[in-house]
Amino acid sequence: MAQLELRGLSKHYDGTAVVDRIDLAVPPGNLVCLLGPSGCGKTTTLRLIAGFVEPSTGDIRVDDKVLSAPGFATPPEQRGMSMIFQSYALWPHMTVADNVAYGLTLRRLPVAEIGRRVSEMLAAVKLGTFADRYPGELSGGQQQRAALARALIVEPEILLLDEPLSNLDAALRDEMRFEIRRLHDAFRYTTVYVTHDQVEAMTTADLIVVMNHGRIEQSGAPEEVYNRPRSAFVAGFLGGANILKGHAIDATRLNVGPGVLRCAESAFVPGDEAALSIRFHEVRVHATGGPDGDNRLAARVIRQTFLGSLRDLALELADGTVIRATAPPDLAVQANARVWIDLPPERCRPLPS
Amino acid sequence: MTTETLATENAGRRAGRIGGIDLSLPVLAATAAFLALLIGLPMGWLAYYAVTDRAGAPTLVNFTTLASDPAFTEPLVTTLILCVSVAVAAAAVASPIAWLVARTDLPARRTIRVLMTASFVTPPFLGAIAWEILAAPNSGILNRWWRDLSGSADPLFDIYTLPGLAFVISCYTAPYVFVLVANALDRIPADLEDAAGILGAGRWRTAVTVTVPLVTPAILAGALIAFLQAMTLFGSPAILALPAGFHTVTTKIFSFFQYPPRPQLAAAAALPLLAVTVLLLTAQARLLGRRGYTVVGGKSGEPRRLALGRLKVPALALVLGVLSLPLMLPYAALLKAAVSSFPGAPFVIENLTWKHVNFVFVEFSQTRKAFWNTLVLALGTATLGTVLALVIAYLTARRAIAGSRILEFLATAPVAIPGIVLGVGLFLSYTRPPLALYGTLWILLLAFLTIELPIAFQQLRSSFRAVHPELEEASRILGAGRLKTLARITAPLLKSGVVAAWCFIFIGVVRELSAAIMLFTANTKVLSVVIYDLNESGDLGAIAVLGTVMLLITFAVVGFANWISGVGSGVRLRGG
Repeated sequence: MAQLELRGLSKHYDGTAVVDRIDLAVPPGNLVCLLGPSGCGKTTTLRLIAGFVEPSTGDIRVDDKVLSAPGFATPPEQRGMSMIFQSYALWPHMTVADNVAYGLTLRRLPVAEIGRRVSEMLAAVKLGTFADRYPGELSGGQQQRAALARALIVEPEILLLDEPLSNLDAALRDEMRFEIRRLHDAFRYTTVYVTHDQVEAMTTADLIVVMNHGRIEQSGAPEEVYNRPRSAFVAGFLGGANILKGHAIDATRLNVGPGVLRCAESAFVPGDEAALSIRFHEVRVHATGGPDGDNRLAARVIRQTFLGSLRDLALELADGTVIRATAPPDLAVQANARVWIDLPPERCRPLPS
Repeated sequence: MTTETLATENAGRRAGRIGGIDLSLPVLAATAAFLALLIGLPMGWLAYYAVTDRAGAPTLVNFTTLASDPAFTEPLVTTLILCVSVAVAAAAVASPIAWLVARTDLPARRTIRVLMTASFVTPPFLGAIAWEILAAPNSGILNRWWRDLSGSADPLFDIYTLPGLAFVISCYTAPYVFVLVANALDRIPADLEDAAGILGAGRWRTAVTVTVPLVTPAILAGALIAFLQAMTLFGSPAILALPAGFHTVTTKIFSFFQYPPRPQLAAAAALPLLAVTVLLLTAQARLLGRRGYTVVGGKSGEPRRLALGRLKVPALALVLGVLSLPLMLPYAALLKAAVSSFPGAPFVIENLTWKHVNFVFVEFSQTRKAFWNTLVLALGTATLGTVLALVIAYLTARRAIAGSRILEFLATAPVAIPGIVLGVGLFLSYTRPPLALYGTLWILLLAFLTIELPIAFQQLRSSFRAVHPELEEASRILGAGRLKTLARITAPLLKSGVVAAWCFIFIGVVRELSAAIMLFTANTKVLSVVIYDLNESGDLGAIAVLGTVMLLITFAVVGFANWISGVGSGVRLRGG
């Protein structure tokens, strides 16, 4: 288990910063998820850690030893890491067993030892009977597990995963998410996992790092990042949220146009432009009632969709702002109906500008 | 792992790093310089000669001489007529066949595709000679039969005419159109046709309103290639037009080197040929490059084949009839000529003879030398060219160094240089110090290397693209250095592509005539040149023997390449 640290790490291509001054410390044995939309710099960050790319500024340290700095990068093969690629990158001219054995062969282990460890590892990823198959003869999920086995067998200091589940269908993705977490709990390698899927990140990560435009927007434990998003981007990307903009009246209250909303937490500077976020399922919708209530606004239903376990509603406020809400399935409202919505203060998270 | 093994491994890794990252810039620069010299030198001297007089003073007189001399303007008109007829004929014949093969339930479709490829690799000058044997006005086999059958005194068909020449060239350019159109048809997803069907169009109507328009760019591109081939071929017009007393541009350029040599005029005549070639290739790339039109997206899947019904047999007969023109008839004629006392002799036992075989392999002193030269050049060019193309493909596909685009351009540029033009350029460049290579095999090696580089490069570039970079990175991160990765991952995955490139070059060299004819000397004759010479002296029997051997070599190499790539494709390339 190794401690991984990125300090002021940047990568520029033709003058544009793809990765922009990133600071990150991954404690030994932790699984950290780099989460963000495509083009946010997460994959470049991973390739910087792997040593495929040299940084423009900053450095990368493992256990306080500098591996990458501008003009210098320890080649990937000397970093004691391993990596799982988006395409799996299983070598089509080798059998599954040969693929998995590759790293051990390079380390010149005795043949018998290699054989033993390969069969152990294949059993661990439930591929014991597929040792002599070629990658082209495996299903997507099996290829994924073979790639995992190949990366894990060398007992890396640090394990890197680049969107490992994005080529799988939905059901398999579900299964493999838990599988990756199970294997991590079993082996406890320091792991960096790149994904654009927030569910994947929530399932697997000890630490989620949300990235956007080459920068870290927010990092923290999954629950913390989900419950206390510090920017509209994080709130929207992680779980989806309504963002209401307005100007602050005092430290807790925001005038959003159709009404004044209060946040439980005080974070605003009076007079400033600011915003608050509230998740879809935290908006309470009432078919009847009156204007009295905490953080209550009038709205009109412009679309309602029955989704079985809930109803998905699009609601228009007096000034035309549309917000989304999920309501219990037994709440029967028709399109165009007038409703009242409550935005509970403890659910309204302030996003100071 | 012990410290000792770690140390040796690290040493190995460092060596790999030096072999890879650190050297890639110098290697790039050296390769680019070599290519620039390879292509730039002949083209530079060509341009210089075109705009200077004998004394070396700048002048445009070469161009005005050409433009005002009917001895040159007439071949120009002839060439234009020839090119247009060949383009039209090849497109008109090959497109329907491509459609029959790709879109209908025509029997023996696979065999027909293979036969089309066979006419692809037949050297055109050999085809021209075979058609001499078949349709020379007096001695031609077909004309003899015709006279015997009809009692007429006139030949059925005279091959020594402009239509005769156009016919023979069309025979061997039609496969280009066929391949382009058939590939385009293969790529049209069935749902585009189904969409027309569901809207109420019948099957024939769908074919006319959807399928045909979709492949029109491919047909046009094929016609352009046919035009280009007709314009730049040297062998066929030299064999068929010169006896008939007319010239095309290429034979005219060649004649400027006969006594008294006029290299300035040759250079001036070669430049327009180069310009037109570049222009046509650009046009062709545009036609094929409009994505979403010829290269149709959408779901693929087995195309729906039109049932021919009662037309099946007539259609097959028609296709086989057409295929007999470049293949069955000429090959039969060559074989017959090889073992008959004279080509037109009735095919009976007393006329069978080994004298041509004996002459070629025992009596004729040039044969052994020519075989040796051809073999040395083919092996040398194929090996050198493959290595060079491999380096260029690696640098352009794997290294995002500024300048790799230039390399890519230089490696593809020779496509636009007709063989005869390159021959003139090389002749002008290497008959002088410091590199007086004329008269050696080296000049032929340079010529063949230049001509064959683009096809090898394109083959290897697509091979590299099929190998996902992550396959190499996966090996690096697991602990293999750059060289070890190259040896254990990249090389095995590229194997079939490399073999195919090598074979392409080999075949190309064996059949090359138009540059070789400008550059050979008594000691550096190659097979194609010997065949051309024998044709001048009218020894068709000996040609038939040599030609048959040449074809055997070619098909053996093609077969080997197919077998190897078949072996390679057994392992599916994943990770892309």
